[in-house]
Amino acid sequence: MTFTGPRPKEPYQIPPGEEVEGPPVTARDPRAWAKENLFSSVLNTILTVVFGFVLAFLTYRFLRFVFVDAEWEIIQRNITNLMVFHFPREELWRVWAALFVLAASAGFGVGAAGTRRAVEIEEGRGVAPGRGMLLRRVAPLVLLVGVLLVAAGSLTATLLVLGVAATAIAFRLLGRRVPARYFRFVALGVLVGIVASYLVITAFGGVPRDDWGGLLLTAFLAVGGIVISFPIGVGLALGRRSSFPVIRLVCTLYIELIRGVPLITILFMSAFALGFFLPPGTERPSLVTRALVALVAFTAAYVAEVVRGGLQSVPRGQIEAAQALGLSPLKTTRLIVLPQALRAVIPALVGQFISLFKDTSLVFIVGLTELLAVAQSITKQPDFLAQGLFVETLLFVAFVYWAGSYWMSRESQRLEQRLGVGTR
Amino acid sequence: MTETALTSAATVAGGTGEAMIVLEDVSKWFADFQALKDVDLTVGKQEVVVVCGPSGSGKSTLIRCINRLEKHDKGRILVDGIELSDDIRNIGEIRREVGMVFQSFNLFPHLTVLENITLAPRQVRHKAKAEANTKAMEVLERVQIPEQATKYPGQLSGGQQQRVAIARALAMEPKIMLFDEPTSALDPEMIKEVLDVMEELAESGMTMIVVTHEMGFARHVADRMVFMADAEIVEAGTPDHFFQNPEEERTKQFLEQIL
Repeated sequence: MTFTGPRPKEPYQIPPGEEVEGPPVTARDPRAWAKENLFSSVLNTILTVVFGFVLAFLTYRFLRFVFVDAEWEIIQRNITNLMVFHFPREELWRVWAALFVLAASAGFGVGAAGTRRAVEIEEGRGVAPGRGMLLRRVAPLVLLVGVLLVAAGSLTATLLVLGVAATAIAFRLLGRRVPARYFRFVALGVLVGIVASYLVITAFGGVPRDDWGGLLLTAFLAVGGIVISFPIGVGLALGRRSSFPVIRLVCTLYIELIRGVPLITILFMSAFALGFFLPPGTERPSLVTRALVALVAFTAAYVAEVVRGGLQSVPRGQIEAAQALGLSPLKTTRLIVLPQALRAVIPALVGQFISLFKDTSLVFIVGLTELLAVAQSITKQPDFLAQGLFVETLLFVAFVYWAGSYWMSRESQRLEQRLGVGTR
Repeated sequence: MTETALTSAATVAGGTGEAMIVLEDVSKWFADFQALKDVDLTVGKQEVVVVCGPSGSGKSTLIRCINRLEKHDKGRILVDGIELSDDIRNIGEIRREVGMVFQSFNLFPHLTVLENITLAPRQVRHKAKAEANTKAMEVLERVQIPEQATKYPGQLSGGQQQRVAIARALAMEPKIMLFDEPTSALDPEMIKEVLDVMEELAESGMTMIVVTHEMGFARHVADRMVFMADAEIVEAGTPDHFFQNPEEERTKQFLEQIL
């Protein structure tokens, strides 16, 4: 027997000939708006004029530098270096293949999520997406890819990017056809896609991650760091509230120790002092692995404290209600406490992940060539040496970080809206 | 205190006469504060007991001890023949048989009404989804809000939320229902809809302990009134006796203040 819930009735129709009084409509004439908000008093007018000039001047100088003065040749000639650095060029097809796999799984996931949401809206719950939501969601990434393609100036790369985009769209249509009840398998599929894209690069005679560099290494450290540190952080937060004193003590000690030490110190320790902590005779893990471990260890402690704040925000009555229904402590945590706690801390959690994304640039001090390190090193190439091109390279790197961070921030806002933070 | 039929709380006044809940010499402390002092109470099968008394008198603590939301420090508690001990299996078994309704509803805000109700039957009783959904719609019919099944608790009025909370407890098919001031957090116009549901439940033969200040409801529905003050049961008896001829001075004072 299948259950069908009650469906919402027909929307209410206003009977003909009857007018309903709504709130008064205020016309939004731009000139009226400006007068009301920018020139309403003498002081306001002065502020508007002064800051208008400052803003116009800075914008002018910035645009003039970017489009007239700057010499972008260094970026154009080194675009492959900035993306992957000393990654073997004959194996580059693997990176493209990984991008295709990623695009397919992401498109598939987005499509299936759309179907699930449509069902929720039909049932009278769930928030309808705004117009052009998908385009607005990917706007920072589209901008980033656009800039990278302009810098590359390569027809092959453009065609491949178009192929990746087409793959994403095709799989989105495919994902649309997945019934909402199978969504959890789709979520699992997306995770498998991420792992598969890693394997496409490394497995079957591929390139081990120690030979990665540039944006590829940055993305790997960021995604790997987020995916691994999140569950560890949640575990630490739960451990800190455990009823077993030993677990509580260990988790608290770990969190407080890590939080009391700068990330750079942890990176140095994992790069140079890890050998002392491993049993003698063990082979030392590679530098990339050690850097990833340091980033994960650091971020997990902060995630734990953020999540602990969320756990504390769940009212005691929720736990009592679950207990009174006979739910075991484990199920109470998994089904009642954690969903509410995590939802409450999405902004802080994403903030932590944005931090991690930018902090991956610190690994260059232990000798890894991620994006920032590549940007520094290319200014020392014979063709560009001593020409003061730091501004160009740093601006480029800043733009890449900004696009990624802004995209994450937007996704977090969308997630909040979708989960109805603050409304229920 | 004289031991008459009227003052002894350990006598079953209504229902079938079989004991469903037995409390013997139960005491409970919060740090140095004694919340329950040697409480004796026996509740019969299908009996409806209303507990009243001034705030801080231990009413809530009393019923929260029955499903182990609070641990009693002394004495014995038997629920349907099972003794509450530190044995987790016993606690689980008792919680499956005892439904509870809270003052502040405590619905799960991240789940729909239907998911709130089917959660425990599916997770604790391991029922199939379709079966749990059918049962959920049945109890929602009983509390008269089946049309709200797919909404979230935040979209409902207080009275509707409390009725969902009752439905959630009923979906576990409990033998006993505990109500901890179920109407205290409601706007006046919503109190009746909740009391109506509780009255229907009492008439259907559910064993109930109700902590409430709704004296009209108590007089009408209760088989027995229990008056508590300062962590003790001061007086117990049928509603007629309790409201018309209370014996203890403190009971008289309390009734004068609230009636």
